[in-house]
Amino acid sequence: MSGITKRTLLALAASSALAFSAPAFAQDKEDIVIGGSIPLTGVFAFAGVAIEAGIQDYLKILNEQGGIDGRQVRLAYEDTGYQVDQSVAVFNKLTSQNENMHLYYGDSTAFSRTINPELIRRNAMIMAGASFASEINDPENFPYQFIAGPDYSEMFSILLEYIAKEKPGARIVTVNSDSEFGRDPIESTRARAAELGLEIVEEIITPPGAVDVSTEVLKLRRARPDYTLFHGYILAPLPEFMTQAKQLGLETKFMGTFWSMDSSIWADVGEVADGFMGVMPYRYYYDEEDAPMLDRIRQMRPEYQATGYMQGFLTAMLMTEAAKRTLAAGNELTAENLKASLNTIEDFDTGGIIGVPISVPGNTVPVGRIYQYDAADKRMEPVSDWISLQE
Amino acid sequence: MSDLLFFIEVSLAGLGSGALLSLTALAFVLIYKATRVINLAVGETLMMGGYFFFALAAGMSLPVWVAIPLAIAGGGLIGAIVERGIIRRMLGESPISVFMVTVGLGSVLVGLVEFIWGTDPRSLPDFMGSAPIFLGEVYVSRKIAISFVVAAVVIAIFLILFRYWRGGVALRATATDQAAAYSCGINVPGVFSLAWIIGCGTAAGAGMLLGQIGGIAPTMGAFGLSALVVVIVGGLDSVAGALIAGLFIGLVEAWTGTYLGGEYKLVFTFGILILMLMIRPYGLFGTTEIERL
Amino acid sequence: MRIATANETYLADEALLSTRTQWAWMGILALVLIAAPFVLNNYWLYLACLVAINVASATGLNILTGYTGLVSLGQGAFMAVGAYTVAWLEANVGTPFFVNLVAGGALAALVGVFVGIPSLRVKGLYLAIATIGASIILQFFFVNWSSVTGGSRGINVAPATFFGTQLTTYFQLYWLFVPIAALMVLGAANLFRTRVGRAFIAIRDRDISAEVLGIPLLRYKLLSFAISSFYAGVAGGMWAYFFRSVSPESFTIVESIFYLAAVIVGGMGSILGGVIGAAFMTLVPEILRFGVEIASPYVSNAATLLSPIRTVAFGGLIIAFLVLEPQGLAEIVQRIRRFFHLWPFKK
Repeated sequence: MSGITKRTLLALAASSALAFSAPAFAQDKEDIVIGGSIPLTGVFAFAGVAIEAGIQDYLKILNEQGGIDGRQVRLAYEDTGYQVDQSVAVFNKLTSQNENMHLYYGDSTAFSRTINPELIRRNAMIMAGASFASEINDPENFPYQFIAGPDYSEMFSILLEYIAKEKPGARIVTVNSDSEFGRDPIESTRARAAELGLEIVEEIITPPGAVDVSTEVLKLRRARPDYTLFHGYILAPLPEFMTQAKQLGLETKFMGTFWSMDSSIWADVGEVADGFMGVMPYRYYYDEEDAPMLDRIRQMRPEYQATGYMQGFLTAMLMTEAAKRTLAAGNELTAENLKASLNTIEDFDTGGIIGVPISVPGNTVPVGRIYQYDAADKRMEPVSDWISLQE
Repeated sequence: MSDLLFFIEVSLAGLGSGALLSLTALAFVLIYKATRVINLAVGETLMMGGYFFFALAAGMSLPVWVAIPLAIAGGGLIGAIVERGIIRRMLGESPISVFMVTVGLGSVLVGLVEFIWGTDPRSLPDFMGSAPIFLGEVYVSRKIAISFVVAAVVIAIFLILFRYWRGGVALRATATDQAAAYSCGINVPGVFSLAWIIGCGTAAGAGMLLGQIGGIAPTMGAFGLSALVVVIVGGLDSVAGALIAGLFIGLVEAWTGTYLGGEYKLVFTFGILILMLMIRPYGLFGTTEIERL
Repeated sequence: MRIATANETYLADEALLSTRTQWAWMGILALVLIAAPFVLNNYWLYLACLVAINVASATGLNILTGYTGLVSLGQGAFMAVGAYTVAWLEANVGTPFFVNLVAGGALAALVGVFVGIPSLRVKGLYLAIATIGASIILQFFFVNWSSVTGGSRGINVAPATFFGTQLTTYFQLYWLFVPIAALMVLGAANLFRTRVGRAFIAIRDRDISAEVLGIPLLRYKLLSFAISSFYAGVAGGMWAYFFRSVSPESFTIVESIFYLAAVIVGGMGSILGGVIGAAFMTLVPEILRFGVEIASPYVSNAATLLSPIRTVAFGGLIIAFLVLEPQGLAEIVQRIRRFFHLWPFKK
């Protein structure tokens, strides 16, 4: 048993379920399947592994309570290495092998965009994923997709709203990587900052994979911002930015978005990371405020779970809730019905995964909270209330 | 703060990162000089250097001053294995085939790193400190300054070795004429191995410096592409060319990055590359040897 | 056992398929290709379409690298030009897909000629590096010329329409891609029966001798770049209809290396080699996926090893073929053929 982890067992269970499909499992009610193109390897593996765990754990909880309308829900997924053609290949493979696939988890913006016409054509499943691209927040063009959190533009809006409250008229520098991911919120941020009376004094773009940031830090020093907003990075080159800025005695506060907000990636960085802030749509594993779902998670997993876990967990929760509501209304599980049911979610209690009741009026859940890293505790601590963009 | 001061600071930062490019370019030059192979896996060897250091200093908690030479030796070992195992067997094949072999090698090295250490970016144990350096009013990042000094010293040592050391002279002789060198009693195959070992060791050293600045990741081999521009501009077989072109490209990158925006860096350096290939394909300091048609 | 083939005319001597056995094999291949979509499930149809696209592009690169001896690491960028052209035309003009594909190929050919200009001055390694430079500069335009390319988000592509039917399923696209790829392979095979194709081969074997023989190097080298990029452009156009969105991150230097690797593994300077190589390199990652699936019960977290294994296998295949079998898979096929030709004499 030594070499066999739980994941392999689950994968084995899943694959054997595939191998002996329908006849062997001649049940009255067939399983509902969540398909998944999940990056277990490649540059995004750290997120993919956590996401998979989050989805599996929520499904376990759900299935213990009897699943959806008596039907069990299971995750059928494969690794993509975070490459679009692989993600599409996995999608095709899983849809060829699984009958009742009505929900799907995708791994990248490019995949979301590529598979979108196919989702519309099939009208059989709704999809959410690891991408928070603003582009997806468009119910007209992406009718059967959603984001279990705010999109990147909304994340920046939340950051800006916080800044406007803390320091009206603050000077801001944005630092984005020269990639689709990095460039996503640049334009909307410009507009939003102007509305809130904040001044963007410099927009720095770094080439993808840039290592040496000393010239960018010099730019930063000249701009003298109160806040520096990073987007399009996971970790590097943020620590080097912050180290050099500290050496130069810059008073700026550094902020990031969801994917750079996991506390475990900052743990190795040390003292420099202290004070790094950012927007986070979910609670952290170790949050002490009252939250039954977090208690449950801590019971299932005694060790820290990354932010990707919470994202996967909540995505599974919202997806299955949509399926539950569709079946309860006596409708078929088509994409159209599923999405309509998803949009009926209003003031929904996530069991504390998000600290306030949420609604899904369109394609996103535009809620978030500002957290700040405490290097001594190696934890992210909340510094604001939940900020909702819905009002 | 005055614009001039800012300009000087930016230029110094550019020279600093340019020194790293020079050091990496040196690995290309050494290997090309001896064996006429453009080793595209230099970038990946550089990455291996970073990971070796990580494994020794962070994994086995060896003291930094033990880990650094060991990591360089690790890079040299890769060079030795590749030269004896693959490149030697490819002697006489077209340069393109050998070039593609090194492309394949790069892919294998990346795969191995992902296999052993995973894909998450990691930070290296710090051995440079972080107190800032000020030259008068001008700020220089400490790590960049140290990298500059290290690169300068290493390149100076190489220049001296080529002039006075037997092995260096043997390498120059081999570069000029393999058959003549062989008949003078120079162990030409030995020179091949030596060049690969030293070249890959140098790349591994550059990888540790680079890893100190930006951490290590399986994708950091992309740095080798910028160094490739440097060797083409400087001349594939010129050590001095690698130094000067490295500093030049470093400056260009810093200026374009500062005054135009980070997205212009690559397009400018590769624009220079193409211009250079059109005007002076053998580089600023390289030996003229391209047959023109 | 085949004793000998006596050809009575030059025409017969130059024929692509000279023996009945070859005709028979071609017939079987055609039947298999026609029957395949009715047998394969969606996943395998997806892979078949991908193979068709890669075959078209690899065959193009083979014309340039394998037959003319000009090494290019810009095939991915040329495909991107084709893909963007198709996406732009589909979004802004709405011309039929066939016109779009040809236009994509034509524009890619134009860009290819431009990129090929350094080949007048440099060759071999230097040319390969120049094409890397060119693809990085093209990449810059894809990202920053937002009014045409849609910037870093790229463009979404409407499906190809054929007499009012939208080609959206892989079953439908198969009938589009496979004939086009077959036509392009046939065109390439025929190219080397003409003056142009033979001139390419002469340039590859020794450019100075070729010039002495009266082949204008400038014109033919650029022509080779143009034809090769045309293939890439059409393949890129098919890619656009296949994935239905094009962004700067779709075609990177990795793609270019992939196609060069496909040609090397398949066999440089062999049409059959380009085809087998492209199919092989497309399917290897999938074969490895099944391998990992089988191994997963016995190895802990096998799934996370898939991508490193693929990366190692990709590089390892390039090295292994260059060192052990420089003529590629095509040579292995030839060896098998020879074995049967000489069979019972030679055992």
